Amino acid sequence: MSSLSSKTKKALIIGIDGVPHSLLDTYIEGDVMPNLKRILNEGYKLHKMNASIPDVSSVSWTSFATGVNPGEHGIYGFTGLQADYSLSFPNSRDIKVPRFWEILGKTNLQTSTFSEKYLKKVGHPRRSIIFNLPHSYPASPMNGILVSGFVAIDLKKATFPETAYTYLRSINYLIDVDAEKAKEDKRQFLDELSECLEIRKRAISHFFNDEPWDLFVACITETDRLHHFFFDASNDRGSPYYELFLDFYAELDKFINLLYNRFMETYSEKGFFMILSDHGFAPIKEEVYINPFLQKMGFLELQKEGHYYERIGNKTKAFNLDPCRIYVNYRDVYHRGTVRREERLELLREIRGALQSLKGEKGEDVIDKIFQAEEIYKGPCLDRAPDLVCLPEDGYDLKGGIEKKEIFGQSIFTGMHTWNDAFCILPAKVRLLEKPSIEYVTDYLLQYFTQ
Amino acid sequence: MDHLSRLENKSIYIIREAYYRFKNIGMLWSIGKDSTTLLWLCRKAFFGHIPFPIIHIDTSYKFPEMYQFRDERAKEWNLNLLIARNEMKLREGMGPDQGSKLDCCNELKTNALKLIIKKYHLKAILLGIRRDEHGIRAKERYFSPRDIQFKWDYENQPAELWDQYQSMIQEEEHFRIHPLLHFTEFDVWSYVKREGLPIVSLYFSKNGKRFRSIGCVPCCSTIDSEAKTVDEIVEEIRISKTSERAGRAQDKENIYTMQKLRALGYM
Repeated sequence: MSSLSSKTKKALIIGIDGVPHSLLDTYIEGDVMPNLKRILNEGYKLHKMNASIPDVSSVSWTSFATGVNPGEHGIYGFTGLQADYSLSFPNSRDIKVPRFWEILGKTNLQTSTFSEKYLKKVGHPRRSIIFNLPHSYPASPMNGILVSGFVAIDLKKATFPETAYTYLRSINYLIDVDAEKAKEDKRQFLDELSECLEIRKRAISHFFNDEPWDLFVACITETDRLHHFFFDASNDRGSPYYELFLDFYAELDKFINLLYNRFMETYSEKGFFMILSDHGFAPIKEEVYINPFLQKMGFLELQKEGHYYERIGNKTKAFNLDPCRIYVNYRDVYHRGTVRREERLELLREIRGALQSLKGEKGEDVIDKIFQAEEIYKGPCLDRAPDLVCLPEDGYDLKGGIEKKEIFGQSIFTGMHTWNDAFCILPAKVRLLEKPSIEYVTDYLLQYFTQ
Repeated sequence: MDHLSRLENKSIYIIREAYYRFKNIGMLWSIGKDSTTLLWLCRKAFFGHIPFPIIHIDTSYKFPEMYQFRDERAKEWNLNLLIARNEMKLREGMGPDQGSKLDCCNELKTNALKLIIKKYHLKAILLGIRRDEHGIRAKERYFSPRDIQFKWDYENQPAELWDQYQSMIQEEEHFRIHPLLHFTEFDVWSYVKREGLPIVSLYFSKNGKRFRSIGCVPCCSTIDSEAKTVDEIVEEIRISKTSERAGRAQDKENIYTMQKLRALGYM
């Protein structure tokens, strides 16, 4: 009997990039999202969730996809530095452990603390469609269909198998909106954002209806883009973008409803349904450029020559990468490294003290939490972890750029990521003992398929 | 009709349509090979006399060879040359060393263009963008409205829609028109060769180095190349398509990745 029922198991997961629990709650209560409200009443519960640390999409979605922390999966951000301080851009090939569709599809021989819990219980391989999940580029072969999300560059490399690419080409699929356009013209950018959402909905509907699958994951990126440039409008009735912002969420609500209804029509209560975001958002008061701060405090020296981080000079003790990942300039790692391993703890204490002294204009705290790598990361990739990671107070958007001279500033962006205000919607019967982190909720999906 | 003539015809058609529909247009001329090709096509479209201004966005950081080439051609071809400079920012000392390079581009290019569009009430701008040059540009259209609320794929629309859309254009909105979109880098060089088009000397190899694209001095770098003539460049690009692309693609991908991340405020 169990094998029969396991064959009919189906799961639908909707990922919505950068949607905060608090905003979703407001919009559900305020009837901006009446369908989601109804869905919750049909046996689902909205939970607050913590994002990964740092709270950027590549790390958070990878934590979700693998069910483990960065110390084990190896992704700490969108950027990394090589020994000569040139930039590198980690992609899906840098993920060291299997992702849930690879565990369910039995297509990845690597193991992790997470996969070991489930691998033997999977039974027959499951076919997944993973659509627009960030940090899955380039797409690697799997059991099903994979369309990579941000930061995918070449659609062909972003797609597996080739037939999926042919389809996406035929509809002029867009991987992502050109965020650069927001600087030229905000209204046009909003139009293009809607265009992007439309084409994504179309592609999702196609794969959802016309392809066989056991697990379907559909991610929406446009919310994150909307928030970066318009988050100040989210609760401001006076903003010229307020209505458009609500319209966007109303549109999202309809699409969630469409997928949910089709899923329930076919699989009724047997299916597993879940919605989640990878981090929250808050309005920006000020951007905080950590590298100029490190420079001012004597931890960082910049040369005149060189591109980006190649300017890091030979008196540098530490530098920062986005958003606030502070790396020690170790002698045995970097070309102009200065710090011996035995000097690490003393140096980190000094930097910690300096960061705690960083205050806003009215003397308010800027940094909320400072973690040392070994406090939050565990696993074989700990050696490449940033030495310190900071989470800011809401309103202070920590930045890793190297070009700014001032410590505080403002830009076109009005929204910043938050760590403690992501959300997940799970079946009400799932009992959460405490506030989950994103890598823990993956358990519920695998439990569903293996029980 | 051969391949290059087909490309040429298509471009000329778009250039003429743009002019007849908008009248008040301008063409951006960066002095590089693409926009010089576009300039040549504009001359052909109007039998040697271009009835609209040619705009050079002068950041003041261009190569001396480019200024010389510009002035020689402007005289020889009797161009109505407008030079767009963000004088205020230049006086304030804006340059690649002040602020970020992105700020520099923004002020000295984008804003300089905005100023001149406003000053001359231009309704449309012709640009020499190619579809193959940037991943980001792959989805550009021939006619790309800026600041107008509609979507439009020119190739899929009947021509009479022109009137309808033209009447929708309001103050300070403009179209960007890309008559060269269907050319590849290889096509451009082949066309330069066929037409015997004059090209800035920076593209030709000196001491084993040449520029593959040109712009402002501080932001351009050379590639290793022995190609000293247009013929040799055509040959170099033809071969590089099969043998060198793979290595370059990764670099290019990193550049796009960087652009995408920067557009969202990273780095």
